[in-house]
Amino acid sequence: MGEFFKSAVQLISLVAIPALIVAFLAWGFAKKVKVYEVFVEGAKEGFNTAIRIIPYLVAMLFAISIFRASGAMDMLISLLAPITNLIGMPAEALPMALLRPLSGSGSLGLMTDIMTKHGPDSFLGVLVSTMYGSSETTFYVLAVYFGSVNIKNTRHAVATGLIADVAGMLAALMICKLLFF
Amino acid sequence: MLNKIWLALIAMGMFAAVWQDVSDEIKNPYRNGVALDAQFQIKKSPGPGSAAWEGEIVISAERYAEFYGTSPQSEEVRQPVNATIDANGNGSFLFSAAEKTPTLWKKMSASASTADKLSGKVNGWKLDPQTNVAIARITIEPIRFVRLKNVTQSALKIANVAVELAMGLIGIMALWLGLIKIAEEAGLVLVLTKLLKPITVRLFPDVPSDHPAIGAIIMNTAANMLGLNNAATPMGLKAMEELNKINPNPGTATNAMVTFLAINTAGLVLIPATAIAIRASIGSVNPGIIIGTSIVGAGFATVAGIAASKLLQRLPMFKVEAAQKDSAKEKSNG
Repeated sequence: MGEFFKSAVQLISLVAIPALIVAFLAWGFAKKVKVYEVFVEGAKEGFNTAIRIIPYLVAMLFAISIFRASGAMDMLISLLAPITNLIGMPAEALPMALLRPLSGSGSLGLMTDIMTKHGPDSFLGVLVSTMYGSSETTFYVLAVYFGSVNIKNTRHAVATGLIADVAGMLAALMICKLLFF
Repeated sequence: MLNKIWLALIAMGMFAAVWQDVSDEIKNPYRNGVALDAQFQIKKSPGPGSAAWEGEIVISAERYAEFYGTSPQSEEVRQPVNATIDANGNGSFLFSAAEKTPTLWKKMSASASTADKLSGKVNGWKLDPQTNVAIARITIEPIRFVRLKNVTQSALKIANVAVELAMGLIGIMALWLGLIKIAEEAGLVLVLTKLLKPITVRLFPDVPSDHPAIGAIIMNTAANMLGLNNAATPMGLKAMEELNKINPNPGTATNAMVTFLAINTAGLVLIPATAIAIRASIGSVNPGIIIGTSIVGAGFATVAGIAASKLLQRLPMFKVEAAQKDSAKEKSNG
Protein backbone atom coordinates (compact mmCIF):
# COMPACT_ATOMS: atom_id res chain seq x y z
CA MET A 1 0.00 0.00 0.00
CA GLY A 2 2.05 2.94 1.27
CA GLU A 3 2.73 5.82 -1.07
CA PHE A 4 0.56 4.74 -4.01
CA PHE A 5 -2.49 4.25 -1.83
CA LYS A 6 -1.91 7.55 -0.13
CA SER A 7 -1.60 9.60 -3.30
CA ALA A 8 -4.56 7.81 -4.88
CA VAL A 9 -6.83 8.59 -1.94
CA GLN A 10 -5.57 12.16 -1.78
CA LEU A 11 -6.36 12.63 -5.45
CA ILE A 12 -9.85 11.22 -4.97
CA SER A 13 -10.46 13.49 -1.97
CA LEU A 14 -9.30 16.45 -3.99
CA VAL A 15 -11.55 15.93 -7.00
CA ALA A 16 -14.47 14.45 -5.07
CA ILE A 17 -16.31 17.69 -4.32
CA PRO A 18 -16.01 19.29 -7.78
CA ALA A 19 -16.89 15.93 -9.34
CA LEU A 20 -19.95 15.57 -7.12
CA ILE A 21 -21.15 19.07 -7.94
CA VAL A 22 -20.74 18.48 -11.68
CA ALA A 23 -22.34 15.03 -11.51
CA PHE A 24 -25.36 16.21 -9.49
CA LEU A 25 -25.98 19.23 -11.70
CA ALA A 26 -25.39 17.42 -15.00
CA TRP A 27 -27.63 14.53 -14.01
CA GLY A 28 -30.29 16.94 -12.81
CA PHE A 29 -30.07 18.93 -16.03
CA ALA A 30 -30.33 15.76 -18.11
CA LYS A 31 -33.41 14.66 -16.17
CA LYS A 32 -34.94 18.12 -16.71
CA VAL A 33 -34.93 19.02 -13.01
CA LYS A 34 -35.42 22.75 -12.37
CA VAL A 35 -32.00 22.84 -10.77
CA TYR A 36 -32.05 26.35 -9.31
CA GLU A 37 -35.49 26.07 -7.78
CA VAL A 38 -34.83 22.64 -6.34
CA PHE A 39 -31.47 23.75 -4.94
CA VAL A 40 -33.06 26.65 -3.08
CA GLU A 41 -35.85 24.41 -1.88
CA GLY A 42 -33.34 21.99 -0.36
CA ALA A 43 -31.06 24.69 0.98
CA LYS A 44 -33.91 26.20 3.03
CA GLU A 45 -33.64 23.27 5.40
CA GLY A 46 -30.06 24.17 6.33
CA PHE A 47 -31.00 27.02 8.62
CA ASN A 48 -33.65 25.13 10.56
CA THR A 49 -31.45 22.10 11.06
CA ALA A 50 -28.55 24.18 12.38
CA ILE A 51 -30.83 26.06 14.79
CA ARG A 52 -32.47 22.83 15.94
CA ILE A 53 -29.22 21.34 17.20
CA ILE A 54 -28.27 24.31 19.44
CA PRO A 55 -30.01 23.12 22.64
CA TYR A 56 -28.55 19.64 22.25
CA LEU A 57 -25.06 20.99 21.63
CA VAL A 58 -25.25 23.37 24.58
CA ALA A 59 -26.36 20.54 26.88
CA MET A 60 -23.65 18.16 25.71
CA LEU A 61 -20.75 20.61 25.59
CA PHE A 62 -21.80 22.07 28.95
CA ALA A 63 -21.47 18.71 30.72
CA ILE A 64 -18.20 17.89 28.98
CA SER A 65 -16.70 21.29 29.77
CA ILE A 66 -17.51 20.94 33.48
CA PHE A 67 -15.97 17.49 33.46
CA ARG A 68 -12.79 18.77 31.86
CA ALA A 69 -12.37 22.11 33.64
CA SER A 70 -12.82 20.56 37.09
CA GLY A 71 -9.89 18.19 36.73
CA ALA A 72 -12.23 15.19 37.12
CA MET A 73 -10.47 13.73 34.12
CA ASP A 74 -7.17 13.51 36.03
CA MET A 75 -8.88 11.76 38.91
CA LEU A 76 -10.50 9.27 36.53
CA ILE A 77 -7.13 8.64 34.93
CA SER A 78 -5.46 7.83 38.22
CA LEU A 79 -8.31 5.40 38.93
CA LEU A 80 -8.07 3.69 35.56
CA ALA A 81 -4.29 3.68 35.17
CA PRO A 82 -3.64 0.46 37.16
CA ILE A 83 -6.14 -1.42 34.97
CA THR A 84 -4.87 -0.10 31.66
CA ASN A 85 -1.28 -0.75 32.73
CA LEU A 86 -2.13 -4.44 32.72
CA ILE A 87 -2.81 -4.42 28.98
CA GLY A 88 0.27 -2.34 28.26
CA MET A 89 -1.39 0.99 27.59
CA PRO A 90 1.21 3.70 28.34
CA ALA A 91 0.05 6.06 31.07
CA GLU A 92 0.63 9.07 28.80
CA ALA A 93 -1.77 7.71 26.18
CA LEU A 94 -4.64 7.08 28.58
CA PRO A 95 -5.84 10.72 28.66
CA MET A 96 -6.01 10.60 24.86
CA ALA A 97 -8.20 7.49 24.90
CA LEU A 98 -10.56 9.11 27.40
CA LEU A 99 -10.67 12.56 25.83
CA ARG A 100 -11.08 11.50 22.20
CA PRO A 101 -14.81 10.66 22.38
CA LEU A 102 -15.53 13.79 24.44
CA SER A 103 -13.74 16.64 22.72
CA GLY A 104 -12.35 17.04 19.23
CA SER A 105 -10.36 20.21 19.85
CA GLY A 106 -9.22 18.98 23.27
CA SER A 107 -7.87 15.71 21.93
CA LEU A 108 -6.23 17.51 19.01
CA GLY A 109 -4.33 19.70 21.47
CA LEU A 110 -3.42 16.71 23.61
CA MET A 111 -2.13 14.77 20.60
CA THR A 112 0.03 17.73 19.59
CA ASP A 113 1.39 18.09 23.14
CA ILE A 114 2.31 14.43 23.47
CA MET A 115 4.01 14.33 20.07
CA THR A 116 5.96 17.50 20.77
CA LYS A 117 7.15 16.05 24.08
CA HIS A 118 7.92 12.47 23.02
CA GLY A 119 8.55 12.86 19.28
CA PRO A 120 6.04 12.07 16.51
CA ASP A 121 7.84 8.89 15.46
CA SER A 122 8.14 7.42 18.95
CA PHE A 123 5.82 4.60 19.97
CA LEU A 124 3.78 7.07 21.98
CA GLY A 125 3.64 9.57 19.13
CA VAL A 126 2.42 7.01 16.62
CA LEU A 127 -0.04 5.60 19.14
CA VAL A 128 -1.74 8.89 20.01
CA SER A 129 -1.95 10.02 16.40
CA THR A 130 -3.43 6.66 15.46
CA MET A 131 -5.95 7.04 18.26
CA TYR A 132 -6.82 10.50 17.00
CA GLY A 133 -6.97 9.46 13.36
CA SER A 134 -9.01 6.35 13.89
CA SER A 135 -11.87 7.79 15.86
CA GLU A 136 -14.57 10.43 15.95
CA THR A 137 -15.81 12.74 18.69
CA THR A 138 -18.62 10.37 19.65
CA PHE A 139 -20.51 12.64 22.03
CA TYR A 140 -20.45 15.58 19.63
CA VAL A 141 -21.75 13.43 16.77
CA LEU A 142 -24.52 11.99 18.97
CA ALA A 143 -25.59 15.47 20.11
CA VAL A 144 -25.61 16.95 16.62
CA TYR A 145 -27.17 14.03 14.77
CA PHE A 146 -29.89 13.21 17.29
CA GLY A 147 -30.42 16.91 18.00
CA SER A 148 -31.13 17.61 14.34
CA VAL A 149 -34.24 15.40 14.51
CA ASN A 150 -35.19 16.24 18.10
CA ILE A 151 -34.45 12.81 19.51
CA LYS A 152 -34.08 12.80 23.27
CA ASN A 153 -34.33 9.10 24.06
CA THR A 154 -31.18 7.77 22.41
CA ARG A 155 -31.65 4.17 23.65
CA HIS A 156 -28.49 2.10 23.10
CA ALA A 157 -26.66 4.73 21.03
CA VAL A 158 -24.28 5.88 23.78
CA ALA A 159 -23.40 2.34 24.84
CA THR A 160 -22.84 1.36 21.22
CA GLY A 161 -20.66 4.39 20.55
CA LEU A 162 -18.55 3.77 23.65
CA ILE A 163 -18.09 0.06 22.85
CA ALA A 164 -16.90 1.07 19.38
CA ASP A 165 -14.52 3.61 20.90
CA VAL A 166 -13.03 1.11 23.33
CA ALA A 167 -12.61 -1.43 20.53
CA GLY A 168 -10.97 1.19 18.33
CA MET A 169 -8.55 2.33 21.04
CA LEU A 170 -7.56 -1.24 21.91
CA ALA A 171 -7.06 -2.10 18.25
CA ALA A 172 -4.93 1.02 17.82
CA LEU A 173 -2.80 -0.05 20.79
CA MET A 174 -2.35 -3.58 19.47
CA ILE A 175 -1.46 -2.57 15.92
CA CYS A 176 1.03 0.04 17.14
CA LYS A 177 2.66 -2.56 19.40
CA LEU A 178 2.91 -4.94 16.45
CA LEU A 179 4.44 -2.19 14.37
CA PHE A 180 7.10 -1.40 16.94
CA PHE A 181 8.10 -4.82 18.22
CA MET B 1 -28.68 6.09 29.32
CA LEU B 2 -27.63 9.49 28.04
CA ASN B 3 -29.45 11.01 31.03
CA LYS B 4 -27.23 9.09 33.40
CA ILE B 5 -23.98 9.75 31.54
CA TRP B 6 -24.81 13.43 31.25
CA LEU B 7 -25.54 13.68 34.94
CA ALA B 8 -22.45 11.61 35.78
CA LEU B 9 -20.16 13.94 33.82
CA ILE B 10 -21.50 16.98 35.67
CA ALA B 11 -21.56 15.26 39.07
CA MET B 12 -18.03 13.93 38.69
CA GLY B 13 -16.88 17.38 37.60
CA MET B 14 -18.49 19.14 40.55
CA PHE B 15 -17.20 16.54 42.98
CA ALA B 16 -13.65 16.75 41.62
CA ALA B 17 -13.71 20.56 41.71
CA VAL B 18 -14.92 20.75 45.31
CA TRP B 19 -12.58 17.94 46.40
CA GLN B 20 -9.50 19.61 44.99
CA ASP B 21 -10.46 23.07 46.19
CA VAL B 22 -11.01 21.79 49.71
CA SER B 23 -7.71 19.97 49.68
CA ASP B 24 -6.07 23.18 48.41
CA GLU B 25 -7.57 24.98 51.41
CA ILE B 26 -5.89 22.47 53.69
CA LYS B 27 -2.54 22.15 51.92
CA ASN B 28 -2.34 25.79 50.83
CA PRO B 29 -0.17 25.23 47.74
CA TYR B 30 -0.52 28.91 46.79
CA ARG B 31 0.79 30.00 50.22
CA ASN B 32 -2.18 32.28 50.85
CA GLY B 33 -1.44 34.83 53.55
CA VAL B 34 2.24 33.89 53.89
CA ALA B 35 4.83 36.62 53.32
CA LEU B 36 7.76 36.08 50.99
CA ASP B 37 11.03 38.01 51.16
CA ALA B 38 11.78 39.64 47.86
CA GLN B 39 14.07 42.16 46.26
CA PHE B 40 12.78 45.01 44.15
CA GLN B 41 15.13 46.31 41.49
CA ILE B 42 13.89 49.80 40.85
CA LYS B 43 13.63 50.95 37.23
CA LYS B 44 11.61 54.08 37.83
CA SER B 45 11.29 55.94 41.11
CA PRO B 46 8.15 57.95 41.89
CA GLY B 47 8.14 61.59 40.93
CA PRO B 48 7.10 64.36 43.34
CA GLY B 49 3.73 63.76 45.02
CA SER B 50 3.56 60.19 43.80
CA ALA B 51 4.30 56.86 45.45
CA ALA B 52 4.34 54.65 42.37
CA TRP B 53 7.45 52.55 41.80
CA GLU B 54 8.27 50.53 38.74
CA GLY B 55 10.75 47.72 38.63
CA GLU B 56 11.28 44.01 38.92
CA ILE B 57 10.66 41.57 41.70
CA VAL B 58 13.74 39.38 42.00
CA ILE B 59 13.64 36.07 43.89
CA SER B 60 16.38 33.47 43.72
CA ALA B 61 15.44 30.12 42.19
CA GLU B 62 16.12 28.26 45.47
CA ARG B 63 14.09 30.67 47.57
CA TYR B 64 11.11 30.43 45.19
CA ALA B 65 11.22 26.63 45.09
CA GLU B 66 11.54 26.42 48.86
CA PHE B 67 8.65 28.82 49.44
CA TYR B 68 6.19 27.05 47.14
CA GLY B 69 7.59 23.56 47.62
CA THR B 70 7.98 23.16 43.85
CA SER B 71 10.84 21.45 42.07
CA PRO B 72 13.74 23.91 41.68
CA GLN B 73 13.69 25.87 38.44
CA SER B 74 16.82 26.86 36.61
CA GLU B 75 16.43 30.63 36.50
CA GLU B 76 15.77 33.17 39.21
CA VAL B 77 12.41 34.91 39.14
CA ARG B 78 12.44 38.31 37.48
CA GLN B 79 8.95 39.71 37.37
CA PRO B 80 8.20 43.27 36.16
CA VAL B 81 5.97 44.94 38.72
CA ASN B 82 4.27 48.19 39.72
CA ALA B 83 4.23 49.08 43.40
CA THR B 84 2.80 51.85 45.54
CA ILE B 85 4.62 52.40 48.82
CA ASP B 86 3.66 54.82 51.59
CA ALA B 87 6.03 56.67 53.94
CA ASN B 88 5.99 53.80 56.47
CA GLY B 89 7.25 51.35 53.88
CA ASN B 90 3.92 49.56 53.40
CA GLY B 91 1.86 49.41 50.25
CA SER B 92 0.66 47.23 47.43
CA PHE B 93 1.90 45.78 44.16
CA LEU B 94 0.41 44.52 40.92
CA PHE B 95 1.94 42.57 38.05
CA SER B 96 0.70 40.95 34.84
CA ALA B 97 1.54 37.37 33.96
CA ALA B 98 3.92 37.36 31.01
CA GLU B 99 6.01 34.78 29.22
CA LYS B 100 8.76 34.73 31.85
CA THR B 101 6.42 34.53 34.82
CA PRO B 102 6.87 31.28 36.79
CA THR B 103 4.27 28.61 35.94
CA LEU B 104 2.66 28.62 39.37
CA TRP B 105 2.19 32.39 39.34
CA LYS B 106 0.71 32.13 35.87
CA LYS B 107 -1.72 29.51 37.09
CA MET B 108 -2.58 31.64 40.11
CA SER B 109 -3.09 34.75 37.98
CA ALA B 110 -5.65 32.89 35.87
CA SER B 111 -8.01 32.72 38.83
CA ALA B 112 -6.98 35.94 40.55
CA SER B 113 -9.36 38.84 41.22
CA THR B 114 -8.20 40.56 38.02
CA ALA B 115 -7.70 38.06 35.21
CA ASP B 116 -4.03 37.37 34.38
CA LYS B 117 -2.82 39.83 37.02
CA LEU B 118 -1.62 39.19 40.55
CA SER B 119 -1.80 41.82 43.24
CA GLY B 120 -0.71 41.81 46.87
CA LYS B 121 0.62 43.67 49.85
CA VAL B 122 4.13 45.00 50.44
CA ASN B 123 5.51 45.39 53.98
CA GLY B 124 8.79 46.50 55.47
CA TRP B 125 10.04 48.29 52.34
CA LYS B 126 13.70 49.23 52.78
CA LEU B 127 15.32 51.07 49.90
CA ASP B 128 19.04 51.28 49.36
CA PRO B 129 19.37 54.50 47.30
CA GLN B 130 22.91 53.62 46.18
CA THR B 131 22.08 50.37 44.39
CA ASN B 132 18.44 51.26 43.73
CA VAL B 133 17.41 47.95 45.25
CA ALA B 134 14.68 47.63 47.86
CA ILE B 135 14.05 44.72 50.18
CA ALA B 136 10.48 43.98 51.25
CA ARG B 137 8.07 41.25 52.26
CA ILE B 138 5.35 40.56 49.71
CA THR B 139 2.09 38.75 50.36
CA ILE B 140 0.22 37.75 47.20
CA GLU B 141 -3.57 38.01 47.27
CA PRO B 142 -5.24 34.79 48.43
CA ILE B 143 -5.97 32.39 45.57
CA ARG B 144 -8.98 30.24 46.39
CA PHE B 145 -11.42 27.86 44.69
CA VAL B 146 -9.38 27.62 41.52
CA ARG B 147 -11.29 24.63 40.15
CA LEU B 148 -14.73 25.97 40.89
CA LYS B 149 -13.85 29.26 39.19
CA ASN B 150 -12.57 27.26 36.23
CA VAL B 151 -15.80 25.29 36.05
CA THR B 152 -17.92 28.43 36.15
CA GLN B 153 -15.89 30.18 33.48
CA SER B 154 -15.82 27.30 31.03
CA ALA B 155 -19.48 26.43 31.54
CA LEU B 156 -20.49 29.97 30.64
CA LYS B 157 -18.06 30.15 27.74
CA ILE B 158 -19.07 26.83 26.21
CA ALA B 159 -22.69 27.93 25.78
CA ASN B 160 -21.49 30.49 23.25
CA VAL B 161 -19.18 27.99 21.61
CA ALA B 162 -22.14 25.69 21.00
CA VAL B 163 -24.05 28.46 19.27
CA GLU B 164 -21.02 29.40 17.16
CA LEU B 165 -20.59 25.79 16.08
CA ALA B 166 -24.24 25.57 15.07
CA MET B 167 -24.10 28.90 13.23
CA GLY B 168 -21.02 27.73 11.37
CA LEU B 169 -23.08 24.86 10.03
CA ILE B 170 -25.83 26.99 8.47
CA GLY B 171 -24.11 27.92 5.22
CA ILE B 172 -22.46 24.62 4.51
CA MET B 173 -25.68 22.79 5.39
CA ALA B 174 -27.65 24.92 2.97
CA LEU B 175 -25.15 24.33 0.17
CA TRP B 176 -25.06 20.56 0.47
CA LEU B 177 -28.74 20.08 1.20
CA GLY B 178 -29.44 22.06 -1.97
CA LEU B 179 -27.14 19.89 -4.05
CA ILE B 180 -28.48 16.68 -2.52
CA LYS B 181 -32.01 17.73 -3.29
CA ILE B 182 -31.10 18.05 -6.96
CA ALA B 183 -29.48 14.61 -6.95
CA GLU B 184 -32.56 13.22 -5.28
CA GLU B 185 -35.03 14.75 -7.73
CA ALA B 186 -32.91 13.55 -10.62
CA GLY B 187 -32.94 9.99 -9.29
CA LEU B 188 -29.17 9.85 -8.88
CA VAL B 189 -29.41 8.85 -5.24
CA LEU B 190 -31.64 5.94 -6.22
CA VAL B 191 -28.93 4.58 -8.51
CA LEU B 192 -26.49 4.68 -5.63
CA THR B 193 -28.84 2.89 -3.25
CA LYS B 194 -29.49 0.09 -5.76
CA LEU B 195 -25.75 -0.42 -6.19
CA LEU B 196 -25.08 -1.03 -2.51
CA LYS B 197 -28.36 -2.78 -1.74
CA PRO B 198 -26.78 -6.15 -0.75
CA ILE B 199 -24.94 -4.45 2.10
CA THR B 200 -27.51 -1.92 3.20
CA VAL B 201 -30.43 -4.36 3.54
CA ARG B 202 -28.40 -6.30 6.08
CA LEU B 203 -27.25 -3.26 8.01
CA PHE B 204 -30.62 -1.52 8.01
CA PRO B 205 -33.28 -4.23 7.79
CA ASP B 206 -35.98 -1.83 9.08
CA VAL B 207 -35.50 0.66 6.25
CA PRO B 208 -36.96 0.02 2.77
CA SER B 209 -33.99 -0.64 0.51
CA ASP B 210 -34.79 2.17 -1.95
CA HIS B 211 -35.61 4.76 0.73
CA PRO B 212 -33.84 8.15 0.37
CA ALA B 213 -32.34 7.60 3.83
CA ILE B 214 -30.16 4.82 2.45
CA GLY B 215 -28.83 7.13 -0.25
CA ALA B 216 -27.94 9.78 2.31
CA ILE B 217 -26.30 7.19 4.56
CA ILE B 218 -24.14 5.96 1.67
CA MET B 219 -23.14 9.51 0.71
CA ASN B 220 -22.33 10.39 4.32
CA THR B 221 -20.19 7.29 4.81
CA ALA B 222 -18.34 7.88 1.55
CA ALA B 223 -17.69 11.53 2.39
CA ASN B 224 -16.47 10.57 5.86
CA MET B 225 -14.09 7.97 4.49
CA LEU B 226 -12.61 10.51 2.10
CA GLY B 227 -12.24 12.98 4.95
CA LEU B 228 -14.67 15.49 3.42
CA ASN B 229 -16.03 16.67 6.75
CA ASN B 230 -17.81 19.68 5.30
CA ALA B 231 -19.88 17.49 3.02
CA ALA B 232 -20.28 14.60 5.44
CA THR B 233 -22.19 16.42 8.19
CA PRO B 234 -24.99 17.80 5.95
CA MET B 235 -25.37 14.39 4.31
CA GLY B 236 -25.45 12.68 7.69
CA LEU B 237 -28.08 15.08 9.03
CA LYS B 238 -30.08 14.52 5.87
CA ALA B 239 -29.88 10.77 6.55
CA MET B 240 -31.15 11.34 10.10
CA GLU B 241 -34.04 13.42 8.79
CA GLU B 242 -35.03 10.72 6.33
CA LEU B 243 -34.69 8.00 8.97
CA ASN B 244 -36.88 10.08 11.27
CA LYS B 245 -39.62 10.20 8.61
CA ILE B 246 -40.08 6.45 9.04
CA ASN B 247 -39.67 6.61 12.80
CA PRO B 248 -42.95 5.37 14.33
CA ASN B 249 -41.99 6.93 17.65
CA PRO B 250 -40.74 10.51 17.22
CA GLY B 251 -38.33 11.54 19.94
CA THR B 252 -36.97 8.01 20.34
CA ALA B 253 -34.04 6.63 18.35
CA THR B 254 -34.70 3.77 15.93
CA ASN B 255 -32.45 0.74 15.47
CA ALA B 256 -31.38 2.02 12.06
CA MET B 257 -30.34 5.39 13.52
CA VAL B 258 -28.16 3.75 16.15
CA THR B 259 -26.50 1.45 13.62
CA PHE B 260 -25.89 4.42 11.35
CA LEU B 261 -24.34 6.45 14.16
CA ALA B 262 -22.21 3.47 15.20
CA ILE B 263 -20.69 3.45 11.72
CA ASN B 264 -20.38 7.22 11.78
CA THR B 265 -18.75 7.62 15.21
CA ALA B 266 -16.32 4.78 14.56
CA GLY B 267 -14.80 7.30 12.14
CA LEU B 268 -13.34 5.12 9.39
CA VAL B 269 -11.20 7.46 7.30
CA LEU B 270 -8.92 6.39 4.46
CA ILE B 271 -6.51 9.27 5.10
CA PRO B 272 -6.54 10.79 8.59
CA ALA B 273 -5.52 14.16 7.16
CA THR B 274 -5.53 16.26 10.36
CA ALA B 275 -3.36 13.86 12.32
CA ILE B 276 -0.93 13.50 9.41
CA ALA B 277 -0.65 17.27 8.99
CA ILE B 278 0.14 17.75 12.69
CA ARG B 279 2.70 14.95 12.59
CA ALA B 280 4.39 16.55 9.61
CA SER B 281 4.43 19.97 11.27
CA ILE B 282 6.17 18.54 14.34
CA GLY B 283 8.85 17.06 12.10
CA SER B 284 7.92 13.42 11.68
CA VAL B 285 10.10 11.46 9.27
CA ASN B 286 7.11 9.39 8.24
CA PRO B 287 3.89 11.27 8.90
CA GLY B 288 1.82 8.88 6.79
CA ILE B 289 2.71 5.82 8.83
CA ILE B 290 -0.53 6.16 10.75
CA ILE B 291 -2.68 5.59 7.65
CA GLY B 292 -2.48 1.84 8.02
CA THR B 293 -2.74 1.78 11.79
CA SER B 294 -5.70 4.17 11.77
CA ILE B 295 -7.60 2.04 9.26
CA VAL B 296 -7.06 -1.00 11.49
CA GLY B 297 -8.17 0.92 14.60
CA ALA B 298 -11.25 2.42 12.98
CA GLY B 299 -12.01 -0.87 11.20
CA PHE B 300 -12.23 -2.68 14.51
CA ALA B 301 -14.29 0.18 15.94
CA THR B 302 -16.72 -0.04 13.01
CA VAL B 303 -17.19 -3.80 13.30
CA ALA B 304 -17.56 -3.59 17.09
CA GLY B 305 -20.01 -0.71 16.75
CA ILE B 306 -22.24 -2.50 14.25
CA ALA B 307 -22.16 -5.69 16.30
CA ALA B 308 -22.92 -3.80 19.52
CA SER B 309 -25.82 -1.93 17.95
CA LYS B 310 -27.34 -5.17 16.70
CA LEU B 311 -26.91 -6.95 20.02
CA LEU B 312 -27.89 -4.11 22.36
CA GLN B 313 -31.09 -3.30 20.47
CA ARG B 314 -32.52 -6.60 21.76
CA LEU B 315 -31.86 -5.86 25.43
CA PRO B 316 -35.01 -5.10 27.44
CA MET B 317 -33.47 -1.92 28.89
CA PHE B 318 -33.08 -0.44 25.41
CA LYS B 319 -36.48 -1.49 24.06
CA VAL B 320 -38.68 1.17 22.47
CA GLU B 321 -41.39 2.35 24.89
CA ALA B 322 -44.62 0.37 25.30
CA ALA B 323 -46.82 1.92 22.59
CA GLN B 324 -44.53 0.94 19.80
CA LYS B 325 -43.32 -2.35 21.21
CA ASP B 326 -45.31 -4.65 18.96
CA SER B 327 -44.49 -3.11 15.62
CA ALA B 328 -40.83 -2.87 16.59
CA LYS B 329 -40.83 -6.57 17.34
CA GLU B 330 -42.38 -7.41 13.99
CA LYS B 331 -39.74 -5.42 12.21
CA SER B 332 -36.77 -6.93 14.01
CA ASN B 333 -38.13 -10.40 13.33
CA GLY B 334 -38.56 -9.69 9.64
